[in-house]
Amino acid sequence: MKKASHIGAANRQQNRVFALFTVPGFLLYCAFFITPVIMGIYYSLTDWDGVTRKFNFIGMENYGKLLQNKQFYNSLVFTFQYTILLIFFTVVLAVMLSLLLNRKIKGLAFFRAMYFIPAVLSMLTVGLIFKQLYYHVVPAIGQTLGIEALSQNPLSNSALAIWAILFVNLWQGLPIPTLLFLAGLQGIPSDLYEAAALDGASAWQRFRTITIPFLMPVLSVVLVLTLKSGLMVFDYIMSMTEGGPGTATQSVAYMIYLHGFTQNKYAYSIAEAIVIGIIIALISAVQIYFTNKKKAV
Amino acid sequence: MVGAKKQSNLITYIILIAGLLLIILPLYITLVTAFKSNEQSSVSYFTLPNPVYLDSFKEILSSERYYMALGNTVYVTAFVLIGNLIIMPPMSYALARRMPHSRIYRYMYFFLLLGIFIPFQVKMMPLVKLLSTLNMMNPTGMSVLCISSSTCESVFLLVGYMSAIPRDMEEAAYIDGAGTFLTYRTIVFPLLKPMLATVLIRQGLWMWNDFMLPLITLNRSWKYWTLTLFQYNFQTDYAVDYSLTFATFVMSMLPILVFYCFMQKAIIGGLTSGAVKS
Repeated sequence: MKKASHIGAANRQQNRVFALFTVPGFLLYCAFFITPVIMGIYYSLTDWDGVTRKFNFIGMENYGKLLQNKQFYNSLVFTFQYTILLIFFTVVLAVMLSLLLNRKIKGLAFFRAMYFIPAVLSMLTVGLIFKQLYYHVVPAIGQTLGIEALSQNPLSNSALAIWAILFVNLWQGLPIPTLLFLAGLQGIPSDLYEAAALDGASAWQRFRTITIPFLMPVLSVVLVLTLKSGLMVFDYIMSMTEGGPGTATQSVAYMIYLHGFTQNKYAYSIAEAIVIGIIIALISAVQIYFTNKKKAV
Repeated sequence: MVGAKKQSNLITYIILIAGLLLIILPLYITLVTAFKSNEQSSVSYFTLPNPVYLDSFKEILSSERYYMALGNTVYVTAFVLIGNLIIMPPMSYALARRMPHSRIYRYMYFFLLLGIFIPFQVKMMPLVKLLSTLNMMNPTGMSVLCISSSTCESVFLLVGYMSAIPRDMEEAAYIDGAGTFLTYRTIVFPLLKPMLATVLIRQGLWMWNDFMLPLITLNRSWKYWTLTLFQYNFQTDYAVDYSLTFATFVMSMLPILVFYCFMQKAIIGGLTSGAVKS
């Protein structure tokens, strides 16, 4: 009897402490994460410009307006284009680099340490550095080598700007996926390759039937990470092109910032953000669904 | 066979070294341009500085704004890391241990993870409104905001890690009469350390390098600037003086590069293992 009540008291004490452990973090999260999201949904239904005291409730008007706005679609098209290119080049180049790094070569630790440097720098700094390089150095190189496409600043050419930004993003964004793939490669038992080689499988067959399946879990992680960073690209745009030339590189994140903070379309820009948020959530959900399905098989 | 292997190793090295040059070259140009006068740079961007030009660095090192930005960045990063360290591990411990029995904790866990799907832009504008109403448009206010923004990832990583740790040690402590808090401090917290290191490294790098949040909350006065804001505002003012511009890049990258030299293994591990788990 006495023992049971003792345990009961200990349990009560534990429940109290556990509640105490969770409450501060939970309250912070509600106050500074959930509250602004709810505020945002509310404001998106108004015509507030962010400054005046008075504003009217206008229902779904902002959403109707943005779905008819050409600029919104242009930004979406640019962002999707950019994201698809980013994912494609990230996966292809990171797999290739990780295969090279996975060979039993000397100096692996050195290469890994050097290749990783861009990943610790700020995207803004890297963007600003490359903006200067594109402006001053690239044209100098292009002129000396006689390559016409490179003899002027690629950021001021609306066809080349997306590639110039992409290059910077890859320069900085490749190290982490590469190391993730490398970790995946190192998890493959080497006797699998030996057995396959004994059975007469070619290098390509070994890659297709052993390497690729083992890399699938890593691939899904890399896809999620790259997808998010591509769809939300902001720092590079802000530091290199500010959406230009014209609106050729106006990503959705940059457009929302522009509308919300510099053009007083406060409520409207929140509506844009919510629509894009829903699109991203849907893509992530589909992605996670397919990844889980693959794991089950 | 051996010859073929040697040859393919040679090709591997050539590609890896080409990649290395591609990474080093922009950093090299940044460094040498900062040490050259504008006249020297306009002759060639690639040559070493001759003579070494130090005026740009002198100007930055005598600029109050640089020290302010550096101090603010250190402050914000430290604030977020300490806040994280105090709030997230106990919360994750409670969640991981109560979730199997308690529906409330389970719902709370899913509620906390909901944020993963909400892009920052959705709450960006209202956040500024919220912070200015609460008079929190300063580094401290932004840090509090960042701690709450980091909840999803921290809780997700720590709860996942905690759930895999067997309860034997904690139960032994409870039987010996230790209270929950004592058990947390002496048994659970040390066990969480490896994952905590991952969480804090990710958080720390994010805070140090972040641009968007400082841009929307701290860009009112230079007294609030972080290093990224310092660079951004600087380049709009002094775009013509590239020696000075590149010197600001060097001075902004220096702290993180020094840190990377010493903590290289921990940083690489933190950024890659955390990514796999999330």
